[in-house]
Amino acid sequence: MSTGNEVMHDGVMSTGEDARIFPDVEACIDCGGCVVSCKRTWDVPRDEQRISIATMLEGQEAASGLNASSGKAIGQGESPGETAVPMQCYHCSNAPCVSVCPTDSLISKENGFVRVRDDLCIGCQYCLSACPFGAPQFPDEDSGVANLVGSGGTMDKCTMCEERQDVGKGPACAEECATDAILVGTPAQISDELDNRDSGTFFNDVAMDIIFGDDASEFQ
Amino acid sequence: MSNLDHGKFTRVTTLFHSLLGLDVFLLFFTGYAIMFNDELWWMLTLMGGASGVTAIHRITGIGLVALVVFWITLQLISSTGRSNFSKILPAKDDIDAFIQDVQFVLGRADERHPSARQFAGYKADEVPLLSYIGKGVVAIFSIELTLLAISGLLIWSKTGLAAMFQTKAAAMAFVTFHGLLGVIMLMGVMFHIFEHGMHPAFYPVETKAFIPRSMVPEHHGDDDEEPDTTGIERLSLSPSWRTVSTVFGAMTVIGIVSVLVGSIFDEGYPVPRELAIGGGPSSILLTVGINLGMIVLGVGLVLSMYGNVLRIRWEQQLEQEREPTTAADGGEPQTDGGRPDAGDSEN
Repeated sequence: MSTGNEVMHDGVMSTGEDARIFPDVEACIDCGGCVVSCKRTWDVPRDEQRISIATMLEGQEAASGLNASSGKAIGQGESPGETAVPMQCYHCSNAPCVSVCPTDSLISKENGFVRVRDDLCIGCQYCLSACPFGAPQFPDEDSGVANLVGSGGTMDKCTMCEERQDVGKGPACAEECATDAILVGTPAQISDELDNRDSGTFFNDVAMDIIFGDDASEFQ
Repeated sequence: MSNLDHGKFTRVTTLFHSLLGLDVFLLFFTGYAIMFNDELWWMLTLMGGASGVTAIHRITGIGLVALVVFWITLQLISSTGRSNFSKILPAKDDIDAFIQDVQFVLGRADERHPSARQFAGYKADEVPLLSYIGKGVVAIFSIELTLLAISGLLIWSKTGLAAMFQTKAAAMAFVTFHGLLGVIMLMGVMFHIFEHGMHPAFYPVETKAFIPRSMVPEHHGDDDEEPDTTGIERLSLSPSWRTVSTVFGAMTVIGIVSVLVGSIFDEGYPVPRELAIGGGPSSILLTVGINLGMIVLGVGLVLSMYGNVLRIRWEQQLEQEREPTTAADGGEPQTDGGRPDAGDSEN
């Protein structure tokens, strides 16, 4: 379902089917607003989070002339300097977690969302090993059978707020982001927005292929 | 002659074989309920759902490690164990026998090597019973079980493994290795069940792994007196063998092929999507085939239990046939010209 642009926040360009979520690392200021909004929206417990901000090369300056252009610096093989990357489930087109899940508890839905079927998850943590972005979390690892035999408990991860998108709202993290560092839209919309901002994609080709599949060509 | 020759095990070995079989069967049932959860949904449910299956698999895995450690220790501290170990190591004769058998299959040798004819009615003095085939089975199972146990323990905690090797790829490599080795071993176990359950002479179960050597009559008494026959020539073929072995053989072949195909066709663990040739639970043939494979395992479990029942019956029979020795007056027991049967001893 797409509800058009008229009610969308600047970073949320379209929602529903075919909508993707992707970070603009140049805009992220590591404020933690996305983390708080996700926790508040979904009552995520204190010690858990479905989105985190990974800060790389903290306190370091980028290569000359590239201090505010992490994506370009990466593309040129230069140091990007301190870079904050919102890390969450990107609901990949070629999701490695779905590929390795032995119980098919992880599925890629036709509308593009990667969902967990809680009743099938056995907490084997293969998805955690396979995901390049650290999205899968195991908050129940210390409870019940998981505590007894040392398995991971049921997996939990970002849902990209599918329920909110069903009613035309954007993901809570993206709606709340003060700097519009989390982009939601079709691959073409996200690519255009990054071009308009003169921001790079930051991720390498392998990661882009995983996230966007054939649509990765939109970013070249 | 080692204890392994003459096709008889010791009492400890028979008990160990049963415990190992039970443990490995449980590992297979739980592991395959996880791996082929689409096709074996009923097995997953029977074992307590997803969390129950995982718990059983891990607890049984610890059981396997305990059994392996026990066995290795026993082999090291007992003279019998050390002797048996040296007997099962491959020798030049085994390599020659293997080569000759391969040549025979290819039509370049007139006959199979004597080692490969041990079940063809030959007597013990004619054919060495501990052949390269038997040694191969021991070696393959030992190596596979060891590697499965090591890789299983390593992937117990994927995060711990990833941290140890500083890479997620290493964790996934061990995961895939564990899964594929499980597939290979399952195929071997299915064949093992067929081989020993459907043997023409011993059908429905070959008892050498269940009845200890010390309880077998021809080996009672003087240990220096080596038997010159297995007694195999006195056994007759059961009328139902041909039909049952045909059905069971078909189930074994279908099961082996289905598990192999399923591990490649069914996208996901242990074969990643990029390498899979198909995917999804839609294949009815695959579902039937994999379930047939599990039935073969189930039959193996039943045969294992039946083997133990036969051992207990055997013990009881020996007890009843034992000559009375309570000659309190110092005289000879009265046997009325022969060994008393159970009725005589009671009367």
